Amino acid sequence: MSLSIALTKGRLEKQTVDMLERCGYGIEKLHNKGRALVFEDTVKDIRYFLVKAADCITYVEHGVADIGIVGKDTLMEGGSDYYELLDLNIGRCRFIVAGMADANPLQMMGHVRIGSKYPEVAKQYFLSRGMDVEMIRIEGSVELGPVLGLCDGIVDIMETGTTLKENGLVVYDTVCEISARAIVNKASFKMKRQEIMSVLSDLERIVKEDAERNQSEGS
Amino acid sequence: MKQIQIPSGMRDILPDECEKKQAVNRKIMDIFTLWGYRPIETPLLEFYATYRSSFASLEEETLYKFVDDSGQILTLRTDMTLPIARVCASKYTGGNLPLRFSYCSNVYKVRQSFAGKRNEVTDCGIELIGLDEKADLEVLSCALDVMRELFRDRCVLEIGNSRFFWKACRLAGLDEEQSAVLSDLIDRKAMTDTKQMIEAAQLRPEEKEFFNRLPLLGGENALEDAEEVCFDEALREIIRHLCRLKEQLEDLGYGRNISFDLGKVPHRDYYTGIIFEGFAEGIGSGVLSGGRYDTLLRKLGRDLPAVGFGVKSDLLIGHVETETQEIRKLYYRPSQEADAIRKARELRKYGPVELVMEETE
Repeated sequence: MSLSIALTKGRLEKQTVDMLERCGYGIEKLHNKGRALVFEDTVKDIRYFLVKAADCITYVEHGVADIGIVGKDTLMEGGSDYYELLDLNIGRCRFIVAGMADANPLQMMGHVRIGSKYPEVAKQYFLSRGMDVEMIRIEGSVELGPVLGLCDGIVDIMETGTTLKENGLVVYDTVCEISARAIVNKASFKMKRQEIMSVLSDLERIVKEDAERNQSEGS
Repeated sequence: MKQIQIPSGMRDILPDECEKKQAVNRKIMDIFTLWGYRPIETPLLEFYATYRSSFASLEEETLYKFVDDSGQILTLRTDMTLPIARVCASKYTGGNLPLRFSYCSNVYKVRQSFAGKRNEVTDCGIELIGLDEKADLEVLSCALDVMRELFRDRCVLEIGNSRFFWKACRLAGLDEEQSAVLSDLIDRKAMTDTKQMIEAAQLRPEEKEFFNRLPLLGGENALEDAEEVCFDEALREIIRHLCRLKEQLEDLGYGRNISFDLGKVPHRDYYTGIIFEGFAEGIGSGVLSGGRYDTLLRKLGRDLPAVGFGVKSDLLIGHVETETQEIRKLYYRPSQEADAIRKARELRKYGPVELVMEETE
């Protein structure tokens, strides 16, 4: 039976396509996209489509895509009606709490305001620390919030930390580590278990290869 | 402004779809009748307290709530199992067991907005009350009859046992909160998070192996693989019960339509034994779900074992072949109205007739 795979556009796209290529899949069409939205694999009975991260979950939950490749950050913020079967170990970064250098939001008393693109993740984090904070949703350039006094701190994903530093923000805590995951529609996993497991084990092989290489380079 | 919107998650079902849906419901209800189940209807509204006291892990925000004129909180029923259990505990206090009920009713759940999900769905199902796990085979066979009637060979009924996981948690000494978190992770087959949690917990190697493999204990050799990782006799006994069921179901000719998944860890805290879910080709979520709930009726004051399942018939529209009767039209002139009605009465013996008045004499 044929499979549909939803890939996340942007940051993860290139790395995901590279992994599929190393699996020996026919992803030429994903290299020369043009205006197309759906891409047929030239080797396997698979079609791919590129979607925004949050939509990836929606497509998988509805079973329009059997498999989705999406960041853990998006999974933590969105629904949970899918299987999360594999850590692809790409797109690594972490969720952090940051604030101005002289004002640690974790030590503030009274009404604390936290700006984030990920209000659900931020809310859960502060609740687990027993802090009752107000969430303000900010869509982009979250660092601006504390600088201009919109909020006392932020929860955001951080890769290098350069933007934070340049704006005078300090990281006060790590919420959790993040990487891309392969998620699977529940019904698809029952009806196409073999096909899905074969894609996942191909991907897992690449993940392991990379892990071993990193280890030998590190030692 | 004209008020034409309907509340989030609600749908109007227009005739083309409605005919199909009712035909599907009839197909399902006919099977239940043949198995000896009798229909029951209960009120759309229940007291919120009934749900509150019956389900420890009730997700409050998923219930519609209102306040009645005496200040009590009411809720739209979110399933039919609880209302039927309430009826059994309060109105069937005499001897005659077991009790068999079928229903075809709408149930309500508040869900995430804009996710394309329904808040009102029709649930078509049965409850068999008063028989212990010896009746598991019967109920599974009935569920398989329904699946096969609807989808022929393009479906599978996946079977698990909720006790397998919870028993293992108790044996391994995990506390209630840890078990709850782990059940959610395993049910979502969140492999990485499961592994992290297992590593952090104080467990023996064979217990770690058990929980790490649980999410993928499904597919072809599920029961053999499961037997291998059991670290206690009590767990092996559960697998043996499933093996017996498997043999019997194969014997009955259902072999091609069943599979087992021990990594099915129920999100509803009332399941106490077998749990099962039906999937069909081309439908992105489970269409049938059920299981054994031997402790629910005790909470309502009557200690009886029970098992049941329901089919979400809205999901089936367009995926199940149904017949619709053609409506024939009878044209007549205004002066012939009585004759036309008389003629139509005769023709209705052969099927639907719609009267159409012509404009001119």
